[in-house]
Formats: sequence, structure tokens, C-alpha cells
Amino acid sequence: MAKPAKVKIHKLPTGVRGLDDILGGGIPEFSFNIIAGSPGCGKTTLAHQIVFANATQQKPALYFTVLGESVMKMLRYQQQFSFFDESRLGKDIRFINLSDVVLEKDLNAVLEEIIKQVKAVNPGIVVVDSFRTVVRRAMSGAGEAEMQSFIHRLAQFLTNWEATTFLVGEYDEAEIRDNPLFTMVDGIIWLSQVAERNSVLRKLQIIKLRGQASVPGLHTIRISADGLQAFSRTLGLTGEKMKLARHRRHSIGIPELDKMLGGGILEGDSLLVAGPSGTGKSALATQFIAEGIRKGEPGIMAIFEERPQGYTQRAGTFGLDLKAAIQKGTLETLYLRPLDLSVDETMQEILDAIKRIGAKRLVIDSLVGFEMALAPGFRADFRESLYRMIGALTGAGITILNTVEVEDTFTELAFSHYAISFLTDDIIRFRYVEIDGQLRKVMVVVKMRGGNHSKDIREYVITNKGVVVIHPRRTDYQGLITGIPQRTGPRRAQETEAAPEPKATK
Amino acid sequence: MSRANPHMRHFAKRLIVYETMENKSSATKPPAAFHVCEKLHAHMATFMGNAGFRALLARALVLATTEVPWLSAVQVKADGALEGLEELHTQLNPDELFEGGMVVLAQLLGLLVAFIGERLTFRLVSEVWPKFSLDEMESENRGNNENRGKNEKTK
Repeated sequence: MAKPAKVKIHKLPTGVRGLDDILGGGIPEFSFNIIAGSPGCGKTTLAHQIVFANATQQKPALYFTVLGESVMKMLRYQQQFSFFDESRLGKDIRFINLSDVVLEKDLNAVLEEIIKQVKAVNPGIVVVDSFRTVVRRAMSGAGEAEMQSFIHRLAQFLTNWEATTFLVGEYDEAEIRDNPLFTMVDGIIWLSQVAERNSVLRKLQIIKLRGQASVPGLHTIRISADGLQAFSRTLGLTGEKMKLARHRRHSIGIPELDKMLGGGILEGDSLLVAGPSGTGKSALATQFIAEGIRKGEPGIMAIFEERPQGYTQRAGTFGLDLKAAIQKGTLETLYLRPLDLSVDETMQEILDAIKRIGAKRLVIDSLVGFEMALAPGFRADFRESLYRMIGALTGAGITILNTVEVEDTFTELAFSHYAISFLTDDIIRFRYVEIDGQLRKVMVVVKMRGGNHSKDIREYVITNKGVVVIHPRRTDYQGLITGIPQRTGPRRAQETEAAPEPKATK
Repeated sequence: MSRANPHMRHFAKRLIVYETMENKSSATKPPAAFHVCEKLHAHMATFMGNAGFRALLARALVLATTEVPWLSAVQVKADGALEGLEELHTQLNPDELFEGGMVVLAQLLGLLVAFIGERLTFRLVSEVWPKFSLDEMESENRGNNENRGKNEKTK
């Protein structure tokens, strides 16, 4: 005989983008939860989003307000959010003010009033905002045992009445250990905000959730016109399908460089182009994206330093029409420069754009600019988050070209000031060298994880076609990678005054 | 600042007339406007509490008194009801009573609109008087908004 089936716990959507993933699918039905945190973290907004996402005429939401924020103010401010639909008030969503009962009577009367209203309305969702106020007021005339008994009876009644409950309150983290409320609830959603220099970071943590696995740790949240949005530390990518086979090679749009790379970049590789300012990293990135578009592979350019207009203009001088691709929807440029971005929400923007146009190629120009755009508090997490995003995207078959600015020194060939080689499959290094009294540019493929590559150090120029590799490798110099090579062969005949490259015009 | 603009006065008048017709009661004894306030009180106290409604009505009364001085004899009781009307019946004519009541109601509705917006205010009213037609108010409001938009463009 087959074993009887385990109980299936239905999960309710929160209406908060990203939060259901963090919760492991949503809020467990009939659970008794607390939304806690300091003032201004978004507790009430979160409760409203849950209410609007779940309330129906058959199973309405009852929102009990107690002393804290007045309903008039609540309605005044909450209606500014896009999720707020006033046509649902009074039917799907009902506000009940418990202030008078709390002020004038005891805990039993509060419980009786809640029971009376719940029995009359038969709600699917119950919110008590602020529960802290109920407790504070009640504790002035009741002992701890009476308080615990009240919470116990309330939880028991609401769960048996098939309601999913949210108690909203201002609490300190120190209270989690001593306050019996936190032991009794099924779920604890903790919101916090921390000031870091001039930026304020809002975070969310699922401290406890009975019955299902949530994503541990602190997740960034942002409050916008759409309400709360949560950015999971896993970026919601844990379920993405991984593409294991990597046989296709993508042309970078520069035939000689493709040859150096053994035929192009392997699909799903992360390529790092490192070099000092002015060596053509962005030009190469533009050519990489343009080549993809030419081959029917949509692309995303996440730009953190230059303006998108500059990008399209430069591409135009190379004969690459990015504007047409943008209009056609095969290319999106994301210009991300605000100084208080969180790394996760930036990455979410990139992921959204990738999904929107089905991108196969992604440029991040540059990692230094990306890090600068983040709020100071997020910079510490930069490498970790980048690692997660690059790992997940390349695993899904998206080919990434990252640029990073490095200073040329004459004693070493640094690839980046980050220890990020673990993020990249392939590395191309650009650098300046002094040759025959001129500052020239050379490139070398340093690493290709998926195959063999040319070991040649090749000189290149930036022309009206973009980056163009010129000359076979030089055998008349030694020490090119130091930037100050030594001549070992005969001097080539050349005009002294002419510049070796026609400069691209803007 | 008065909240009883012409739009709110029109709204208040229509509500008073509707309430008078509904209850087949006199528009003046006590003023039907105060019946309307009572009904709003009963409904709104559920979600904003007695104290919340009392504060709102008291503010409306103060604003109305600057325009209708005899309203200074009217008070908001602790339970949110209006008192002090009885004596005034003998001293004022029906038109004056109607006008005073209408101004209080217009101020109250105006305050609600200022706090929670017209859409929510209309919704609250329709919950108390489900058959009261708000179409005229909404179309008038749309017209006002359009005119406001035009005026802003021409500025």
C-alpha cells in the first residue's frame, strides 16, 4: 500500500519582485508571520503588497491598524505605489482600526474584536500593524504570561480560521532572542537599513521560515514607485539551465584577433580585455557586439563610464550602425551611473535586459566603472556578486566581454587590480610600448581556458575600421611586454614624422 | 485654507439632497448635512477610529466657521457627533441652516480629498450610499483636470 501523501503547503505570492524566490516559492499558506525592522524600512509597504497580491472578494484581506500610522496617512502614501488599487478597498481589502479597543480595553477585548471581525469577513490574509503597539500597550497592564497566552490564542485562532497572518512591528535584532513572539511565529521577515558614508542600503533577511527552505543571508531591497523590490543573492539564477556543450566560436569582429584566439571566443566564455586608458578596449567591445548583431546574435552593452551616445557615434565612425540595431531591438545599451546602486540590482537590470531581447552577447564596460557606480557598502560584495552573475550567465550560454582599465607599469604585466582571473575564461591584454621613438600599442592573448591560442604579441592600431591588428609578431625586439623593449634586429625603414595610424574621427 | 471649493460644495449639496430624498426627511431639522456626517462617521470610524474621525470633523467645523460664523455654537462631541444645533433652529431660517450644514460637509469632503484623493473619497462615499451616482462628479472632475491641463499648457 502506498504511503499517504504528505501535506502540501501552498505558497502565496508576495507581490514583491524577487521575494518569492528568496522565500523558496512564496509565503506558506496559513502561516503566522512577523514583518519586523526599524522605522522606514518598508514594513507597511511590504504588508500592503502582500495584501494586494492575494486578497479576493471571496477571501478578502483584513488589515487591522493600531495606534501607529493612521489609516488616512497610510492610504495617502500607499496609493502612490503602482500596486495600490483603490477600487479593491472595502471589498477585497478592509481596514479595521483597533486603536480604541487597545486604548480603552485589555488583551481579551482586543482578541475578541479580532475574532469578531475575522468571523464576519472570513479573510485569507490578516495583518496587524503595528503589533508592537498592541503588545506595548497591553504589557502596561498585563504580565508576560498573559501576553504569551494572547499571542498563542491569536495564532491558533487565525491559523485554524485558514488565514495567513502578518504581524508588523518595530523591533531590535537584540529582541529576537528574548521575545517569545519570535519563537512562536512561523516566519520572520526582517527589514533593515544601514547608512554607509552617504548612501543608505536597505536589506531583507528571512531569519526564520517553517516548512520550506529560503535563500539565506541579507538581500538588497529597493523601494520605488512599484513598491518593494528584492534582489536575491542568487539573482534568481539558481534554476537557470546550464549549457554544457561549448563548441561554437563567436567571432570578435577582428579577423586577425579571431585567429589569435584559435578561431574566436567559445560560446559561453567570459573574456576580459585589460589595458590602460586609450588602448581601444571600448572599441574592441563595440566590434564584438556589432559582429554579433551582424550574425543575428542580440547583444547588451552595460556601460558605466562613457555615454551611450558616444558609443553609437564611435561605432558609426567604424562603419558599424548600432542605432539601427537599437531601433530594431537587437541591441540594448544600459547606461548605469547612479552612485548608490547595489550590485545585485545592477545585475538584475542586466539580466532583465538579457531576457528582454534574448541576448547572446554581453559587454560590461568597464568593471572599474561598475564598481564605482555602486554604493560604498556594496563594493565589498562586488567580486562575489560578479562571480555569481558571470557564472550563471556563461553557464546559460551567454558570451561576455568585460573590460578593465589597468595602469601600465614597466616592471610587470598586470591584468587587473582585481583578482578576477577566476571570473574569466579568456584574457586579452592591451598595452603601450615604446618603439622607434613612438608610443605604439600591442596586444597578447594571455589565457584561453577552452583551447589553444596564439602566443604572439601583435601590434595593432585603431583606424576608421576599429581595432586592426597589423604586422606579424615582431622578432626585432625583446621585452615588448615590459613596455620598453630592446632592439635585437635591424631597424625598419620608415618615415619619421608620419603617425602610424590615422586617428578615428568622431 | 478653505477646502470647500465649488466642486466640493456641489458634491456636498448633491449628497444632502440625496440623503433628504432617501430618508424622506426634512432638509433642515436637524440639517440633513449632519445626517450625512453621521453616516460618514459610522462608516469611517471602522478604519480610522473614533478619534481619527473626530479630529477630521473638528477641523472641517473650524474651517466652515470662518465662512459661517453661527457654526461657532456647534461642537464635536467626544463620540464624534455634532451638538449645539437645537438652540439654533429657533434663531436661523431653513436656508441658513442648509447653507451652514452644506459648508461643513463640503469642508469635510474637501479635507478627505486633500488627504486621500478624490478617487478614494468617492469610493468611501459610494460604500455608504451605494446608489448615489458619482458619474456627474467624476465627469466634472475630469473636465476640471482637462481645463487645468490646458491652462498649464497656455502658461
